[in-house]
Amino acid sequence: MLSSEAVRPEAGRPEAKRDVGRHRLPIRRGEAWTALLFLLPSLVIFTVFLFYPFFSSIYLSLHLTDPRGRVVEYVGTDNYIRILTDPYFLGSLKTTGLFALYTVPTTIVLALIAAFLSRQVRRGQAGIRFVYALPMAVSVGTGAVIWGLLFNPSVGLLNAGLHALGLGPVFWLSDPKWALFSVSLMTVWLNFGFAYIVLVGGMEAIPEELYESARLDGAGLWSLFRFIVLPLLSPHLFFLLVVSVIGALQAFGQIHLLTQGGPMNATNVYVYNLYLEAFRDYRFGTGSAMALVLFALVLVLTLAQFRVLEKRVHYQ
Amino acid sequence: MRLRAHRVTALWMAATAIVFVLFLSACGSKDSGAGDTAKSSAPTDASPNAKDAGGSRPIEVVWWHAMSGPLGKAVDALVEEFNKTHSDIQVKAVYQGSYDEELTKLKSALGTKNAPTLVQVYEIGSRFMIDSGAVEPIQTWIDKDGFDASDFEENILGYYTFDGKLYSMPFNTSNPILYYNKNMFREAGLDPEKPPQTFEELREAAKKLTKNGKHGASFAIYGWFMEQFFANQGALLVNNGNGRDGLATESLLNGEAGVKTLTWWKGMIDDGSMLNLGRKTSDTQQAFGSGQVAMTLDSTAALRGIVSGVGDKFEVGTGFLPRPADAKDGGVIVGGASLWMLKDKPEEEKRAAWEFIKFVVSPKMQALWHVNTGYFPVTKKAYDEPNVKENMEKFPQFKTAVDQLHATKLNRATQGAVMGVFPEARQITERAMEEALGGKKSIQEALDQASKEITEKIQQYNRSIGK
Amino acid sequence: MRANNSQDRNDRVGLIVALSLFVLALFVLFPLLYTVATSLMSAEEMLSGRPHLIPERPTLANYAKALEAAPLVRFVENSAIVSVAVTVGQLITASLAAYAFAFLRFPGRNLLFFVYLSTMMIPWEVAIIPNYLTVVRLEWLDTYQGLIVPFLANAFGVFLLRQAFLQIPKDVLDAAKIDGASHFWTYARIALPTARPAIATLGVYTFLVTWNMYLWPLIITSDEKMRTVQIGVGMLQFQEFSEWNVVLAGIVIVLLPSLAVLIFGLRSLIGGLTAGALKG
Repeated sequence: MLSSEAVRPEAGRPEAKRDVGRHRLPIRRGEAWTALLFLLPSLVIFTVFLFYPFFSSIYLSLHLTDPRGRVVEYVGTDNYIRILTDPYFLGSLKTTGLFALYTVPTTIVLALIAAFLSRQVRRGQAGIRFVYALPMAVSVGTGAVIWGLLFNPSVGLLNAGLHALGLGPVFWLSDPKWALFSVSLMTVWLNFGFAYIVLVGGMEAIPEELYESARLDGAGLWSLFRFIVLPLLSPHLFFLLVVSVIGALQAFGQIHLLTQGGPMNATNVYVYNLYLEAFRDYRFGTGSAMALVLFALVLVLTLAQFRVLEKRVHYQ
Repeated sequence: MRLRAHRVTALWMAATAIVFVLFLSACGSKDSGAGDTAKSSAPTDASPNAKDAGGSRPIEVVWWHAMSGPLGKAVDALVEEFNKTHSDIQVKAVYQGSYDEELTKLKSALGTKNAPTLVQVYEIGSRFMIDSGAVEPIQTWIDKDGFDASDFEENILGYYTFDGKLYSMPFNTSNPILYYNKNMFREAGLDPEKPPQTFEELREAAKKLTKNGKHGASFAIYGWFMEQFFANQGALLVNNGNGRDGLATESLLNGEAGVKTLTWWKGMIDDGSMLNLGRKTSDTQQAFGSGQVAMTLDSTAALRGIVSGVGDKFEVGTGFLPRPADAKDGGVIVGGASLWMLKDKPEEEKRAAWEFIKFVVSPKMQALWHVNTGYFPVTKKAYDEPNVKENMEKFPQFKTAVDQLHATKLNRATQGAVMGVFPEARQITERAMEEALGGKKSIQEALDQASKEITEKIQQYNRSIGK
Repeated sequence: MRANNSQDRNDRVGLIVALSLFVLALFVLFPLLYTVATSLMSAEEMLSGRPHLIPERPTLANYAKALEAAPLVRFVENSAIVSVAVTVGQLITASLAAYAFAFLRFPGRNLLFFVYLSTMMIPWEVAIIPNYLTVVRLEWLDTYQGLIVPFLANAFGVFLLRQAFLQIPKDVLDAAKIDGASHFWTYARIALPTARPAIATLGVYTFLVTWNMYLWPLIITSDEKMRTVQIGVGMLQFQEFSEWNVVLAGIVIVLLPSLAVLIFGLRSLIGGLTAGALKG
């Protein structure tokens, strides 16, 4: 049998040194200046368009603001207490968790299947890849319009298809039992292209010889997948997981366009809730507090993923 | 391990070929259309030059609006006509996205030089506009200019009148009406010329119309409809005279009118004669247009779209918004948006904006606006214009809308509620409607909860504006 | 060679593979096929009460209407300018920063890298209002720089390129060092060329993401001449009644350029991530 140990691609690739630079000379003044020069462009942009807004939200989160967004008075942690005791806010946290649970693993698994199987095809690779990568070219806005029409109970094709199979109509977006599922389905579709590209790229990095030797050993598709592809793809899977979780926690456009958080708050995800608070109701104080809580959540979750999962990732 | 590559490849070739053909056909059409835009944009580029020839520089009035598509075209037509006939003023109409997006932008632009002189704001943003302290009531200019507004629809002006002053000029106005499928009425043995008028009649009709997989009715779960049903029963939505005798402090959503409406509505859902399609009117429009449901509620402004979308598949009838048989005096509230003037602008710019407003509400322009968009004319005189008469013949269904507007008796209930947190209150109401109609909570419970929440939000808002 | 039953098994497996691929392709393609098909139908046909995919009487009228309702061609130009500029700019800023993080020693390097990474977690919706005010102060409303500059740096790019740079063999760098090459020379002549696949990936990715931006261009542009394509699609949907077939025609028009980029960029998109994203 194959073991993951046996398939490490030691040969044929230049050895990647993860510690390049780390064991070099001690810090030198000149090099620090050079570094500053290299970092300056991105640093300026980040400072103006990300750090500054970030700190101004910290300031705003401690104040009551009027309907034009101007600070009225200092309220300490009131805004935080207000949101953390609001049942709808807590509900939106749960909804977001469910949304991430529905979308992230599904997207990754489907993309993994597509990437693995499409590699088994000998001809027409370019066409296959183009088709699977297609959703990458679609924006959330246009994707939501398209799916909104597919979901439409009277003219939509999904229900027409179900009807042809003798199944009753499903109220995709207006039934609270289905709405989150439907929005997730659309999201899986939308994110599929990116996930596929990442994984197919990882698949390509696996040297052909490994496949060949596995085949000579009589390995079937499953063992090929389980013992060669999966371990070698783990860095890509890990990357995809981290990026997808961040994306899922920040989902907004599809909710805004398809369900507006309804029915009965069934799809009221975090950032949509935040958007309403800040931009419809113009309560910048509580809106900023929500933003910072989200930031903290994402940070903790990402760090946790690094802590727990990165150990298992099989870097070459 | 060798796979049968050919089979897979063949499938792939087929799929790719389909995509490719579709792709090419789309490309072709794009080219043919591109020429049209180039042509149509030419005259607009030429017009400013014509103006310069007139001598001194014209005053520029920037007007933000939320009208896109054919509505945007109608706006542009008005502006073009104005600029052509007023050499000293140049109005620049700028589309700013949906009403919500536009208002967000306005909020961040207030107090800066990027703020427009004139802005179109939806009716539920009225309280915010007043509280912002950044607006100049239109009444100021009506008085200054001795403008005669006696021919204006008092039911439309009523919404935008506070403390006896007209704050903004109504621009696009609509009401909800009942749309029904006359063919389905005939098939069900109902009189196609007599739409149901009361809750009870509508319920009866819906029952008879429900068969063969078709449903009697479908109403979108839209807070606006709820507000209308309140007004139609003469009930207030918030206290202090619907927020018009003083700042509202309490929601009255859990009153009798709300319970009655939802009990009726839910009854129809429960017996299967009403199809629940969720919040979007675009979904009920399509259900109605494709003959899935026999009756629906929608804005008068959707009339043209609905009638032309239906084509000759069936006859579209229109009726008044239904009300309980025992309802007191009531009527419909105007929806839509109005034009607000910002006060931190030079006097001459505001005068120029006022000139534009006067131009827009002149009978002739209102006639044009009405014919192009389906919104009500603000002035009754517009109905005498030939193009309006012609339009009435083409869309006889519109008469119902006008009659309903005129049948409304103006009082605090039909003037409509105002509150600073209206957009949010509407969403909370929609959630309560969903909870009640879906049976998650009892009707009273859902409305009580929503009403309590809205009251809290109102009080929080009042505190933030220092009241 | 192999026995017959093995051949059978391979056939069966092949069929399963083909079938799975086909089902997945259907899932991916169907919404897009639907879009194209419906954009060729009249509103009456769409509302006929029998939803179907193949247009019975195909018409291009919706395309004409879409192009008439919004100056989509001008929007496509704007989006192209903005997307190209953002892409080029991000490649420059990201590769410079990535070089510093990969090869230069300076105090607080790890902390700063962490700070960079954490910017990926700031929800962009939060930054919009302060950024809007900044752009107002800079008088950048309705300008290309307003659409471009805020996006000229992105932590994702820094991250990706740093990983790619770290794959560069140590001896290559050492040789340059011994030759007395400056860091800028090493950056331009060694790091950039070696990481070309990753740079191509980032380029295609950034282009597509920028092309698909919605909220920001909407907020900072008022002049129709400065609007981008996604807003064009938004402009086809109305407050009271939308003609969906026209909206879909608009979507097809707006999709064409991104599809073209995807066709030509797919190779690099896949190649770049192959070059060793996320190792180290």
